[in-house]
Amino acid sequence: MTAVVTLEGVTFRYPGAAREALCGVSLGVAAGEIVALAGDAGAGTSTLLLVATGFAPRLVGGTLTGTRRLAGRCGIVFSRPWTQLTGLCSTVGDEVAFGPASLGLAREPVLASAGRAMERLGITHLATRDPAHLSGGELQRVVVASVLAMEPDLLALDDPAAELDPAGADALYALLPALAVGGMAILVATPDLERAASVATRAVVLAGGRVVADGPTHLLEGTGVAAIARAAGCPPPYPPDVPSLLRRVGR
Amino acid sequence: MSGGDVRVESVRYAYGDLEALRGVTLTIRAGETVALLGPNGAGKTTLTRLLVALLRPAVGRVTVGDWDVARKRPDEMAGRVGYVFQHADQQLFARSVREDVAFGPRQLGRAAASVVPVLDELGLMPVAAVHPYDVPPPVRKLVALAGVLVMEPAVLVLDEPTAGLDRQQRERVIGALRRRAAAGVTVLVVSHDLAFVAELVERVVVLREGRVAADRSARELLYDRGALAALELTPPVTVEIGQALRLPGAPIRTAEVAAALRGTKWRESAE
Amino acid sequence: MIGYLAGRSPLHRAHPYTTLALAGGVLLIAFALTRPLEMWLLVAVAAVLAASGGREVLQSSARTALLLSLPIWALLFVLYGVLGTEPRIALGIMSLSAPGMARALVLGGRITAIVLGFLTALGTTSPHRLVEAMTASGVPFGRTFLLASTLTVLPRMRERARQILEAQQCRGLRIGGSPVARLRALGPLALPLILGALAEVDEQVLALDARGAGGAARRTALEAPPDSWPQRLLRGALLVAVVAAYGWKFWRMRG
Repeated sequence: MTAVVTLEGVTFRYPGAAREALCGVSLGVAAGEIVALAGDAGAGTSTLLLVATGFAPRLVGGTLTGTRRLAGRCGIVFSRPWTQLTGLCSTVGDEVAFGPASLGLAREPVLASAGRAMERLGITHLATRDPAHLSGGELQRVVVASVLAMEPDLLALDDPAAELDPAGADALYALLPALAVGGMAILVATPDLERAASVATRAVVLAGGRVVADGPTHLLEGTGVAAIARAAGCPPPYPPDVPSLLRRVGR
Repeated sequence: MSGGDVRVESVRYAYGDLEALRGVTLTIRAGETVALLGPNGAGKTTLTRLLVALLRPAVGRVTVGDWDVARKRPDEMAGRVGYVFQHADQQLFARSVREDVAFGPRQLGRAAASVVPVLDELGLMPVAAVHPYDVPPPVRKLVALAGVLVMEPAVLVLDEPTAGLDRQQRERVIGALRRRAAAGVTVLVVSHDLAFVAELVERVVVLREGRVAADRSARELLYDRGALAALELTPPVTVEIGQALRLPGAPIRTAEVAAALRGTKWRESAE
Repeated sequence: MIGYLAGRSPLHRAHPYTTLALAGGVLLIAFALTRPLEMWLLVAVAAVLAASGGREVLQSSARTALLLSLPIWALLFVLYGVLGTEPRIALGIMSLSAPGMARALVLGGRITAIVLGFLTALGTTSPHRLVEAMTASGVPFGRTFLLASTLTVLPRMRERARQILEAQQCRGLRIGGSPVARLRALGPLALPLILGALAEVDEQVLALDARGAGGAARRTALEAPPDSWPQRLLRGALLVAVVAAYGWKFWRMRG
């Protein structure tokens, strides 16, 4: 497995911040991996996404020490759909084609990439609709399609389903394994540990800007199931999801 | 009639040609905890906006306690109904979290004595002096909630209060709402988060196409797979476990399931 | 009220540079004209332009232009008409200054013509087509985005303002009432609007950058709006008209 992004001893501080947002973080994500990033508020999960994709410090400022190596292009998806629209496109098709058009590709390849991305997200039927009139769930799918249209090698998602209803959230997370199989490296930071655990191949837990755990998904101890198991006297490691809990109970 | 009773009588409301509510009748007694569920476009937001006089019913009556909502302005309703919008973080503006939370009571002409306890309850003391826009969006949501709790309303209406919150933050919200409910405050939540709904509410009202399609106890509805499937919802993990292990008493809360599982001979983890 | 209104009128279908040139032409010529009759002829031209944008655009621009102009006309009337210099004309019990009225008509007409011209351009220029036009012309994306964003900012702000207004009312803020109360209500309304908009800009910059907006490659124009020689001719003619208007102004000043 080829590493798409590698961080070694990365320490990052936002401009004017009193303390470091990330401290000596070393992490590698390979093509085909889906890494779930977990941590409480302030642990540094969003910052880690920005650093891994190179937006920090380039666009947000701040100081970074350590090494960061990225092989290929990255895409990032945030939780609020409407702030990720260009605001300049009157149709979904144009919105999705915006990214590839920025790469300076010729018209045909641009439209082809956009078409493929819309198909993947199941939104081809929305191509002529105005993004301003779509629901949150539909809009987030447009955003993801817009990012995928640029065919990134690393896809970072920051709580992508926060604004979606359960069906929309399930659909979004269900996309990730297919993308990983296609060779994408995926980093998803989210408090929705249940859904993350259902698709992730690996979990990284952060606290106070440091990596405190990096391994199998049962490390996502914050899931509801893990909480139930712990309260019921189950010895660690706590099962992260219902099937594991049922196995531990003997059913 | 208590200040926290909510009565909706044969209410109809339309946005132009679009009928959002087609005759909704509902009574929520003071101190009840109710979740309002339904697909998008079912009329949930319209109903909650009627409760705070942001909308006036075309037909029918809405009363909160002895107040007829049609005769009140939204700022007057704020004295009795605390409404937490889904994107309430947009309303923050003061120089610090503490100042923003104190805004509501000041508008109502009350002393802001209860600000610090509420900040503490929601884990906001560490950021009390920070500018609202310098804290992460999930924390801003908590600030918005604190701003409403501090007004000590008789009725709380919350729209997706747990979206984007981590586990600890959700626990704090659940705790704060449970305490209010125990003290007699009526709590109405619109939420897709069934795990949260299971932890907090006793009763679920389902709206569909502008009408009340179901009005049942939370326990009954959450264990009804067919009903949940019709709403495109999946049961929370507590119910999944309860059903898989056929736990007695139809437990829906974490504490209930954990109690039912205590004494289990746990097998070794395979990992 | 202010902002792009979809439609199929000739102005909508025209190249974005043409509609912007027309608005710009009205602006520049308005400053060259100094007599009431000429000025109000220009206002009539601007009104015809608005009409060629379709019924919705005409209604919306006319309404907004009037709303913005009326207080100014009233002020000018008092300042120049009533309080102006000799010679005066008698109108029933009142007397108005003749040169004062002329000046008021020129200034009032100027503002109305300019506002009408710009509202028409805003109403008929789709931000998307403008971006495509500028991209096809090779304008770097940064500048393109800046211009196009200003076209979309008002409707977005209006929607945000509405949401903030509601949220603050639900926290007990009284809208309306005495002027002092209204003034006090500004803080809780204006501050979140601006702060929220700024916070959104942060996120949007990241998102746009992620879509390659700031990249080195030259953007591909996917659907460059068609230009035509009559339109190019029109834009050229406008330039000539502007130059002629100023030429005439200076020639009159000399003589």
